[in-house]
Amino acid sequence: MKKIYFLSLCIIAFFKLASAQDTEKKLISVDFHQAKIEQFASDLESKTGYHFYYDPAQFDSLKVTLQATDRTLDAILYMTFDKTVYHFAIIEQKIFLTRGREMRPGLTAGFFSPPSSAAPQPTTIVDYAEEKVVKVAEATTENKLYEIGLRTSNLKGTANLAGYIRNAKTGEGIIGASIYNPDTKTGIATDQFGYYSLTLPKGRQTLTIKGLGMKDTRRKIILYSDGKLNIEMQEQVTSLKEVKISAEKVANVRSVEMGVNKLDIKSIKQIPTAFGEADVLRVVLTLPGVQSVGEATTGFNVRGGSADQNLILLNDATIYNPSHFFGFFSAFNPDIVKNIELYKSTIPEKYGGRLSSVLDVTDREGNKKKFTGTAGIGLLTSRLNVEGPIIKDKTSFIFGARTTYSDWLLSLLPEAYKHSSASFYDANLDISHQIDEKNNIYLTTYWSQDKFRLNSDTAYGYSNRNANIKWKHNFNNKLYSVLMTGIDDYQYNVSSTANPVNAYKLNFAVKQYDLKADFNYYLNPKNTINFGLSGINYHLNPGDNEPNDSKSLVTPDQVPMEQALESALYLGDKYDVTPQLSISAGIRYSLYAYLGPQTVDHYAPNLPKESVNVVDSTTYGNNKVINTYGGPEVRLSARYTIGDNTSIKASYNTLRQYIHLLSNTTAISPTDTYKLSDPNIKPQFGKQASLGLYHNNQANTIEMSVEGYYKWISNYLDYKSGATLILNHHIEQDVLETRGKAYGIEFLIKKTAGKLNGWVSYTYSRTFLRQDDPNAGELINGGAYYPANYDKPHDVNFNGNYRFSHRFSVSLDVTYSTGRPITLPIAKYEYAGSERVFYSDRNAYRIPDYFRTDFSMNIEGNHKVHQLTHNSWTIGVYNLTGRANAYSTFFTEQGGIINGYKLSIFARPIPFINYNIRF
Amino acid sequence: MNRKGCIYLILISGVVTASCRKPYEPPVVAVNNNYLVVEGVINAGSDSTFIKLSRTVKISDKVAIKPESGAVLTIEGDQNTSYPLTETGNGNYASPGLNLGNTHKYRLRIKTVNNEQYLSDYVEVLNSPPIDSVNYDVKGTLTTPGLNVYVNTHDPNNKVLYYRWDYQETWVIQSYYSSYFKSNGDTVLGRDLINDNITDCWQSDTSSTILLGSTAKLSQDILSNYTIISIPSTSEKLGNKYSILVRQYALTSDAYNFYVNLKKNTEQLGSIFDAQPSELTGNIHCVTNPSEPVIGYISVGATSSQRIFATNRQLPTWRTDKPFYAGCHLAFEWPTFPCCYYNFGGENQVDEYINYNKGGHSNPLIPIDALSVPGHPPLGYTASTRNCVDCTVRGTNKRPAFWR
Repeated sequence: MKKIYFLSLCIIAFFKLASAQDTEKKLISVDFHQAKIEQFASDLESKTGYHFYYDPAQFDSLKVTLQATDRTLDAILYMTFDKTVYHFAIIEQKIFLTRGREMRPGLTAGFFSPPSSAAPQPTTIVDYAEEKVVKVAEATTENKLYEIGLRTSNLKGTANLAGYIRNAKTGEGIIGASIYNPDTKTGIATDQFGYYSLTLPKGRQTLTIKGLGMKDTRRKIILYSDGKLNIEMQEQVTSLKEVKISAEKVANVRSVEMGVNKLDIKSIKQIPTAFGEADVLRVVLTLPGVQSVGEATTGFNVRGGSADQNLILLNDATIYNPSHFFGFFSAFNPDIVKNIELYKSTIPEKYGGRLSSVLDVTDREGNKKKFTGTAGIGLLTSRLNVEGPIIKDKTSFIFGARTTYSDWLLSLLPEAYKHSSASFYDANLDISHQIDEKNNIYLTTYWSQDKFRLNSDTAYGYSNRNANIKWKHNFNNKLYSVLMTGIDDYQYNVSSTANPVNAYKLNFAVKQYDLKADFNYYLNPKNTINFGLSGINYHLNPGDNEPNDSKSLVTPDQVPMEQALESALYLGDKYDVTPQLSISAGIRYSLYAYLGPQTVDHYAPNLPKESVNVVDSTTYGNNKVINTYGGPEVRLSARYTIGDNTSIKASYNTLRQYIHLLSNTTAISPTDTYKLSDPNIKPQFGKQASLGLYHNNQANTIEMSVEGYYKWISNYLDYKSGATLILNHHIEQDVLETRGKAYGIEFLIKKTAGKLNGWVSYTYSRTFLRQDDPNAGELINGGAYYPANYDKPHDVNFNGNYRFSHRFSVSLDVTYSTGRPITLPIAKYEYAGSERVFYSDRNAYRIPDYFRTDFSMNIEGNHKVHQLTHNSWTIGVYNLTGRANAYSTFFTEQGGIINGYKLSIFARPIPFINYNIRF
Repeated sequence: MNRKGCIYLILISGVVTASCRKPYEPPVVAVNNNYLVVEGVINAGSDSTFIKLSRTVKISDKVAIKPESGAVLTIEGDQNTSYPLTETGNGNYASPGLNLGNTHKYRLRIKTVNNEQYLSDYVEVLNSPPIDSVNYDVKGTLTTPGLNVYVNTHDPNNKVLYYRWDYQETWVIQSYYSSYFKSNGDTVLGRDLINDNITDCWQSDTSSTILLGSTAKLSQDILSNYTIISIPSTSEKLGNKYSILVRQYALTSDAYNFYVNLKKNTEQLGSIFDAQPSELTGNIHCVTNPSEPVIGYISVGATSSQRIFATNRQLPTWRTDKPFYAGCHLAFEWPTFPCCYYNFGGENQVDEYINYNKGGHSNPLIPIDALSVPGHPPLGYTASTRNCVDCTVRGTNKRPAFWR
C-alpha cells in the first residue's frame, strides 16, 4: 500500500511541480546527533514549514549526525544525503525522500548543484557510519539492484564484497553455497558459517548463487567500493526433485579439490537403510573409494586406510565411536545433520592427525525466526528435534534426541536369547548467537550412551561426550578468524557380577582437549589464504580393571594413564594462476610430544620387543616430555580446465597420525583400545598421490569423473598371533609395525537433475600390508605382502531416485563388491578331544562376493505450506533380493566335529516403515 | 513371529540362529599339507606318559585323525638323560612313570618313518597342585536348568598361574526294555542276569573343549568354582548315576598362550566381535625342514585328579529325555503282526526274527519276555530291536573299577 501511495504522490508531484525557491533560501540552523528520520523530518518541518514524504521502512537504518548554522534547507539536505543511497527532491514545499531510486523532477541542471563555495562550511561532517552501525542490507530480491559501498562515479578497479548467505526460512548460514560472477568467471564457496568474501570489478554486475538444497538465485549489484551483502536463499521446497551431491554444479570440474564428496541431508534421506532411518555413515559407504568390512559395522575404510585412519568430526568435535547398537545406527542424528563432507585425497591443511580421510559432519543451526520441530517413529527408534530462536534473528538453539525401545523385541525371542538387552540414546544441543555483525558464537554439545548385554552376564557400555565453543570474528571483509576450544571424551566399560569372586569392571577412556585458531584471508581475487594453529592434549586411560563385588578377588589393575600433546601450525594458499589453472598449496607442521608421568621400557636394539629383551626402563615425571615426533605435511593440489566442461586435477598429500586404534577383530567393537605413540610405537605416516579427470555434460547435470591414486603407509600396526590388547601393560610387545601400499581407480557418473537422478560408481582398488622385519619377532606370511582385511578389489554402487510427483518418489540402491579376504582353514586334525583346523596364511582367501539391493518409497503429505504439521512416510525393503551375504565365514567345533559356517547379518529382505512429522 | 525373531535376534544379540548361520564349504584346498600333530604331556610324576602322533588331513576328509605310526620317540633331559617311549599302536606312544623330579628341563625328540627329525623346546617341570575339590550344584546356566560341575584349586607356592583341565564322564544308562531271554543263534534261552546283563550299562565320554583357567590377575593363586561342565537337566547322563573325573594340568604362560590360541581358533569363532584366527605356534619344530609347521605343545609335569559322583535321587525331580529310544516299541502289532510266536499261522517267528542263525535277518530282534500261559512252555517271546534292548550298543556292561 505504501508503495502505491508513494507512487501516486510522485505522479501528483510531477504535475504540480513549481518553484519554491524563496523559502528554500531561508537560512536555518540544525543540530542532529544520531537522529532518526522522524526526528530529522519533524525538526526541519517545524523550521521550514515544508512537509517530508518518505517510506519510513526505507529509512529505518538512517541516523543523521549534523551540525550546521545558517544554511539553506537545500544545503542541509544536500549535506545529509550526498553520496549516500538516499535522494531528495523538493517540489512545492514538499520534500520527497527516496532510497536507491532517485527522483528526478527534470528541472534545471543546477537544481541539485552543491551550494556555493562561499557558503559557510558546516562545523561537522555528516557521519555516514550508518552502513556500519545498522545491519547489513538483506538482499532478498532478485530483480532489485543493490548498491554496495559509497557511491562514486569512479568504477575502475576492484572492490571486495563479503557477507553471509543464509536460508531465508531459518536464518541459518548455508555451507558451501557458491557465489559466482559469470562475466568474470570468478566465484567462491561459503565457509562453514555461510560466510563469503569475493573480490569483483567495480560496477554493475549479476551474481549467481547456488546452494545445496536451495533454489538457485541471482543478485544484481552495483559495486562502488568494499561492502557487505547478505543474501537470503529460498529452500528448494520440492526437495524430491534432485539428488545434489555437490553444492556447485560446476564444482566437479572447477574446484581445485579432488576426492571430495559433499552430501546434504536430503540426499542422505533418499537412500534406503536397514531400518528406515537416514544413516549418514551408510550413505558414505556408497561413495566411490569407501568400503567397510561388513554390514554390522559403521567403521569404514577409505582408499585402503584402516577404520581408525578417518578423522570424524561433528561440528569440529572428534567422534571416536561413530556408531550405535553394534554399528546398525550411526551416531549422527539425521534430523540435526545439515550436510557431510568426505575428504579422500585433498585434505585441507587445517585438518590433520589421521591418515586416510576427514569426514566432516555439520549440524544445522537452529531456526532463528520461529519454533519448529520434527519427530520420527520407526520400528526400533524414535527421534525428536526442536529448534527455535532464543532472541529472534540473533540467537537460536537446536536440540535433537534419539532413543531405542528395542527391548520389547527381545521379549519375543526364543528363551535362549531373552536375556540379551541393548539400548542407546543420544542428544545434541547446539546454540548459535550473533553478538554483532562481526562476532558470532557457536556452542555445540553431543552426548551418546550405548548399553548392551549379549545373552551373558557381561555388560558393555560406551559413551561419546563432546562440547565445544567457537568464536568467529570478522576483522574486515577480507579477514576473519575462528577460535575454537572444546573437549572430546569417549569411554567404555565392561562389567560382570555373576560370580562374586570374579566380578570385575573394566574401564577405558580417551579424552582430548582442543584449541584451534583458524584464519581465512581473501588476499586478492587470485589468492585465498588459510592459516592457523591447533593443539590437542590427549588424556588416555588405556584400561583399568577393578573388583565389582566385596567378595571379588580381582586385583585392581591400572594400565598407566598416557598423556600427549599434538600441535600443528599450518598455512595454505589457493592461487588462481590463470582462469584455467588453479593451485592449492599448503603445509602443515605437526609436532607431537609424549608426556609423563610414565615409565617407558627400553628394548635391546635389533631384537624383538619382548619382555626378555627389556634392557631397562625410565620413569618420567608429570608433564615431562618423554619424546617427540614431528615433521612437515604437504598438501598440494592443482586443477587445469580444458574448455568449460572438462578439467584435470592432481594432488599429493602427506599425513601423520599419532594415535592408534588397537583391534584384532574385523569390525570395530567397543572393546578396542587406543594407544598414543610413544618411544616404542612410532606414529603412522602416509603419502598419497592422485590424478583425476572430470567432465560435466548436459548443462552440468551429468557429472563424470575418474580418479586414480597410489598410497604408501608406514608404521601401521598389525598384531602378533593371539595378541592381548586389553589391559596390556606392554602393548608394544604384542604389535607389529607393518608397511602398506594401496592403489585404485574410481569412476563416478552422477545425474544431478531431472525426475531421475542418482549416481553410479565403480572402484577398483587394492590394499596390501607387509611385515618383513626379521627383528620384530614374527613375520606375517613369511614377510610377503598380504591383502588387508578390507581389500575389496571390485566395488560397484548404484543409487537412483525417481520422482513420480512432488509427493511420491522411489529410490533404489544396488551394491556389489568383491568379498573381503579371510584366513581359511587348510587342514584339520584332532587335538584335545576334538577336531580342529589349521589356518592358512593370513588373508589368503576371500569370502563370497557381496550383493544387495534396497528399495524405498517416500510419500509426503500435502504440500500446503501453512498447516500445523507436515507428515511423511518412508516405506521400503532392505536387501530386496534376500541374498544371504556372508559377513564372515568361520569354522567351529560342535560335539567334536568341525563345521564350516557362513554368518549373514541380514539374510532376508527386511521391510521397514518410518513415520515422520514436522511441526 | 519366528521370521522376525531371527532378524531381530541377529540385530540385537549378534548371535545367529540356524537360518542365518548357514553351513559353508570352503573352496577345496587341494594341497594335502600333512603336517605332524603331537599331543601329550611328559608326566614328571609316577603316572605313565602318553604321546599321540598324527597327521593333518584335508578339510574335506571324512576322518580327522590319521595316526602316525613307526616313529621313534625319546624324552631328553638337559643333563643328557634320555627315556625312550614305546609305540602302543595307532600312533600312541607311552612310557611308564618317569619320576623326573623338578630340577631339570626336558624335551621330546621324534624321528618319523620318513626319517624326518622333530624336536620340542626344553621345558621346565611344572607340577600341578592337588585339586582342592570338585563339586556340583543344580543352578544350571542362565538359559537352561541343569547340573554344573566346578573345580576349586589353589597353589600354596603361588607358582602355578595357569591351569588346564580335561575330564572323563561316566554314567549309568538303561535299555528301554529289560531282556530276560537270549538267543544263542539257534534257540532262545534264559539270560544270565549277573554276567550277561544288557539292561544296565556305563557310558563314558571325554572332554572335547579346552578348559583353561588363570590366576595371573588375581591377588592370590586361588581358583574358585571354575565351571568344568554344565549338563542340562533333561540329559540322560543324570537319569541314574553320574560320575566325573577331572584331571588338572599346570601350564607355563607359553603353554597357556598356545591353548588359548587353539581354543580361539576352533571354539570361540562365530560372533561379530571375534578375533581373527591367528597362526598357531607350538614348541615343536621340524629339524630337517625348519619352515614346516608342527602342531602341538609339549608340557612337562605331574597331573592331579579328583572324581565325584551324583545320583539322580540327590537331584531335583528332573524329567530325563532319552532321544536315543525315540520310536522304541515291541515288535508286536496285534492282530496283524503279533510277534514272535513259535507257531503263528504255521510260521515260526522265533526262528525267523530272533534266532539269527536260522532267520535271514541282518538285524535280528532280541527276546525280552516270554509269551506264555502259566504252567505251559512259552508260546513265543516279546522282542524289540537291539538299540532298544541292548545297552552295550552305547556303553559297557562291565562295571568300571572306580564305580561305587
